[in-house]
Amino acid sequence: MNDYQIECISLSKQYISKNQKIIALNDVNIRFSQNEIVLLKGRSGSGKSTLLNIMCGLIKPTAGKVIIDNICITELKDDSLSRLLSERIGIIFQSFNLLPVYTVYENIEMGLIPQGLKPGEVKDNIMSLLEQFDLINKAHLLPAELSAGQQQKVAIIRTLAKEPSIIFADEPTGSVDDETAGEILEHLLNMKREKNLTLFIATHGNIPDKIADKVFIIENGRVNGT
Amino acid sequence: MNYIIKELRRHLGRTIASISGYIIATIFIMLILSVTGTDKESSTGILKGTGTHFIVYIPSNISCCVSCDNESNKGSLFAEGVNTIMLTSDVIDSIKKINGVKDAAPYLLYKHYEPEFNADISLGGIELNSIATKNNVCAATNIISGKFLSDNKDDVVAEESFALAHNISVGDTLKIYGSNILISGIVNSGIKPGKADLYSSIDNVRTILKDNLKCISPGFDMNIVLVEVTDARKQNEVLLQLKERMKYLSVSSYNCFEPASEVMIIKEKTSALISILIFLFLVIFSARTQLTSLIERYREIGILKSLGWSNHKLGRQILAISLIQAVIGVTLGILSGFVIIFLMNTFNIRVFNLLEFQFQISSIPLLFGLSFAGGLLAGVFPIIKLYRTRAGEMINNFM
Repeated sequence: MNDYQIECISLSKQYISKNQKIIALNDVNIRFSQNEIVLLKGRSGSGKSTLLNIMCGLIKPTAGKVIIDNICITELKDDSLSRLLSERIGIIFQSFNLLPVYTVYENIEMGLIPQGLKPGEVKDNIMSLLEQFDLINKAHLLPAELSAGQQQKVAIIRTLAKEPSIIFADEPTGSVDDETAGEILEHLLNMKREKNLTLFIATHGNIPDKIADKVFIIENGRVNGT
Repeated sequence: MNYIIKELRRHLGRTIASISGYIIATIFIMLILSVTGTDKESSTGILKGTGTHFIVYIPSNISCCVSCDNESNKGSLFAEGVNTIMLTSDVIDSIKKINGVKDAAPYLLYKHYEPEFNADISLGGIELNSIATKNNVCAATNIISGKFLSDNKDDVVAEESFALAHNISVGDTLKIYGSNILISGIVNSGIKPGKADLYSSIDNVRTILKDNLKCISPGFDMNIVLVEVTDARKQNEVLLQLKERMKYLSVSSYNCFEPASEVMIIKEKTSALISILIFLFLVIFSARTQLTSLIERYREIGILKSLGWSNHKLGRQILAISLIQAVIGVTLGILSGFVIIFLMNTFNIRVFNLLEFQFQISSIPLLFGLSFAGGLLAGVFPIIKLYRTRAGEMINNFM
């Protein structure tokens, strides 16, 4: 047992592209505690999305391990990892990753199905979140009928509705205008404060360092932190 | 289940494409089955009746019945060129009990030297309306002029070759066997083991032998038993059993059953092979449809995995979707196939102007079984892929 909620130990990720070995991550070691806001800053292609995906178990590292709440998720079996993803980890993607053929409401509901919640039980919670994000009248619309900012809000609601203890956000404001970016960031920080979440945000630099407890800089797959 | 139905409805285009694939495949399979079924039915029907008959008798070195009136005018009961002894009806009963025997009938075959013709003239006494008689001797279907034997016991028909040799026509009266015999018809029975020059009912021949020729013989029941088996493939088995039970009997068969049996076995194996190929086609087709569907849904499945949907849950859904599509597709395919076959028969459309499309009701459970198996197998490949791929790879490969 230790004080850190998340630890990345000697993480490396290599892959082959066009017969060339690409080193995406090289011996990454970072750790942070519960309820912290952590920024991972880096330019496009620096490896920040790869690191975020490995940290939440979406891809496997070539070497090293990730420990979340004293569970080594890099060694977890699929079912246990699914449980962790449904109960404790929330992920927000830059490209929203909403299901295009499902309505806003159904997209949010999809995130709750793995927890075994019945549709009737979650309706009030979903509607309340939609109201907070000013999307109550968009519940029946398809993602394609929403603006980029609204889609990102839906993705955030989908994550928050699960009530995770950690949120990994990959460029959450990267696909929206500055005004909407500020709004989204504010929502995230409010939620973090209300729910005592740990917030890990990967960004190329449009989020100010001052909001964070820790800032890591990633460059060519190597991480330096404060 | 709610999600499965939503998934099928929301991806309506893909669902329709998958179901259409099953419909086309089912119609295709139904048409092949209907044609091969007709082919099998007609050819097997013909082959089953080929070489299914033989005759049974007991050879002897003496003539068993001799005309009392004229010592030089000797006749004999014979079969296959040798003298035979008489048989009783018990033999028929025993033969009928052998597994695979369809019919057994008595036959009385007698030959007698007639000075007027300067030849031995054979007379066969047959039991009418017997399949064994039809295939071993002659039948009404062999008539080429005049009329065949009827209930009138005195009717006699002549074999065409005999009639031609002696310039005999229908309506002629022959002075043979000590009486006047009216020829009522001419037959061409083809190559048969019980062929004779003249045929009449067995009762008439018994009367001629006893009353006209004053032959001396115990009984005159029969000297030959005509046997018909159920299927050419059973003939060998019946012959073996017969030899085993009644060693004293001599059996004469043209052995046509051997090639017929071989052809039937070949045809059955070919049909089985065609069925296997059709099944493989269905499975490959279904698997490809499901795999394409998975690839199209790849990113969505990756998103669901990132939300915590387990491989187990997603796998079950892929399988359920695969099966639902298969069952709907096959059901609609059967209905469409039925309509197509009905229309083809209504408009008399045949393959090569010969083979009829015949709706095979027995193929329905087979098609459902195949669709179920196909749906299962088709779902397995995508599920293996699902288990082997991490959510991030599924999402990022399509980002």
